[in-house]
Amino acid sequence: MTIAPKAPRKLTMKQRYEALTRDLDWDPSYVAREDVFPHTEFEGIRIHDWSKWEDPFRLTVDAYTKYQAEKDKRLYAVLDGFAQSQGHLSLTEASYLNAMKLFLQGVTPLEYQAHRNFAYLARHLNGPGPRFAALCQSIDEMRHTQTEIHTLSNYNKYYGGFHNYLEQHDRVWYLSVPKSFFDDALSAGPFEFLIAIGFSFEYLLTNLLFVPFMSGASFNGDLPTMTFGFSAQSDESRHMTLGLEAIKFLLEQDEANVPIVQAWIDKWFWRGYRVTGLVAQMLDYMLPRKVMSWKEAFELYFEEQMMKGLFEDLAFYGITPPRHVEDAIGEKEILSHQVYWVLYQFSHAAAFTTSVPDEEHQQWLAETYPDTFERYYKPLWDKERKNIEAGGRHFVRGLPQLCQVCQIPMAFTEPGDPTTICQRESVHKGETFQTCSNGCQWIFEREPEKYVQAWLPVHQIYQGNCGGPTLPDVLQWYGLEDGDGGEYKGSLDDRNWTQWHDAADHSHIGSEA
Amino acid sequence: MAVKSIGTYDFPSRSRQELYGDDQLVHLWFQENPWFCAAACFRAPKAMTWGDFWTALVVPYAEEDPDFDPASPRVWTLHGEQFSPRDDQTLEELGIGHKDVIGMRVVA
Repeated sequence: MTIAPKAPRKLTMKQRYEALTRDLDWDPSYVAREDVFPHTEFEGIRIHDWSKWEDPFRLTVDAYTKYQAEKDKRLYAVLDGFAQSQGHLSLTEASYLNAMKLFLQGVTPLEYQAHRNFAYLARHLNGPGPRFAALCQSIDEMRHTQTEIHTLSNYNKYYGGFHNYLEQHDRVWYLSVPKSFFDDALSAGPFEFLIAIGFSFEYLLTNLLFVPFMSGASFNGDLPTMTFGFSAQSDESRHMTLGLEAIKFLLEQDEANVPIVQAWIDKWFWRGYRVTGLVAQMLDYMLPRKVMSWKEAFELYFEEQMMKGLFEDLAFYGITPPRHVEDAIGEKEILSHQVYWVLYQFSHAAAFTTSVPDEEHQQWLAETYPDTFERYYKPLWDKERKNIEAGGRHFVRGLPQLCQVCQIPMAFTEPGDPTTICQRESVHKGETFQTCSNGCQWIFEREPEKYVQAWLPVHQIYQGNCGGPTLPDVLQWYGLEDGDGGEYKGSLDDRNWTQWHDAADHSHIGSEA
Repeated sequence: MAVKSIGTYDFPSRSRQELYGDDQLVHLWFQENPWFCAAACFRAPKAMTWGDFWTALVVPYAEEDPDFDPASPRVWTLHGEQFSPRDDQTLEELGIGHKDVIGMRVVA
């Protein structure tokens, strides 16, 4: 009699997931647990049971790599096709790429920093569930860094502003805004980082940060960036879920965590919101073909989805909407105009170009912002037109006052009064520090020891740490070349674009010196 | 509230006055003039006279505004109070400290 061998017991998805992730955890026998995980207590967060962390995706490494490889294949096929068919010539206009320059210089390096810090969380969180989720996100962020660089590198052959984004991220004044934001999170503890990036950045503000860039790409003929966006989107939804899971886990573990988490939400909402100022001006001023206004994006992605959706859910845990959120809502009709006015005046020191919005564009702005554009901002552009007719396009001849926290030039105005610049001042150990808003001042005064270390580009230039005392010295230190910044009209990009579209023979494209 | 940290957390300010030697940073706020998107930040010797500060630093910067008239009457504020600087007074004598903000408003 032969006895058939027992078929191996097939694991359910959940068991398989546990076998591949949590069973890899063990209790240390000859060292104390706090010596293995030394970073998860000093922030005051109390975790009683790490096994309560539920990973809703139950992703395993083999499934993960299979999905990502398929997505990469699709993306790289699109990149090849676009490059081979001279797809860049079918963009709406070369000036569209200013949005992508800003993305590559400002956002892509953040993806890399996120990769680093999620790798750190994958080592330092006590529970195997969150460690594995952090590991996956760390790999995602590395993949996003790479795919963004590959996607946008094709434009570097033909257009200015793309060639030195990594060094510029560390050096150039407007890039200190996203950089210092992320450095602030990197230098926080692991739980604060989870709330700062996992929750506030990846959940609360993600649609405001990423969707406008990807929709802008879709409306302006940028197929590669749009494809990258789709490729990243499924990761982003996983990251959003992780962010939400993280906050709920912390809130459910101990009531004493609630006020700590609330303070982090208050801080990181405002920190992230200030960075979105760059997105606001991009939507309203940089896209030749508009997708939606900043005001509409803010109302849909923030006021509708977050204030009405998310925070109603979080009220159950005793969490309230972020402090200073009313100031952000109050700025929605002025923010983009103020930020673009700054970038317009300082783009001689930037790796993107700006220009006066033309008639049609101003008409759109007036219709989209009926209460503010014509009253406060059109007069500035009218005055600048006269300036240009008289031969003098306007660039600022010096350096601006910066906010100690968000590092943006102090251009923002008092809540409810778009004509008076908001100046807030705090004194710490006898030294004066200025901030641009109630939100930034509150953040400064909560942790002044942290923000006194801010590497403010203006102060660093004055201390002689940025290549030398003159503007050309600093621009050289920034790695800016002719054609990277300044006025768009008549720029190298503009001239090439016109020449390439007027020429009968296109064979020379890209070979210009 | 102090920073919650795993060890001692004590770092100097990255913009303390001593990093500028005998100079200091001075902010000039162009009030009620949206042409200047933000206040200007200058590096100036503490012993610089107001006259020199005005002629050598402020005027070249402000001339970027086509409507700028150096002769217009102005109201000045420092630390929330009006003051009337004389050309021969130094910034230090006027009580202008490191990173202070001087408010400047043209009287209509």
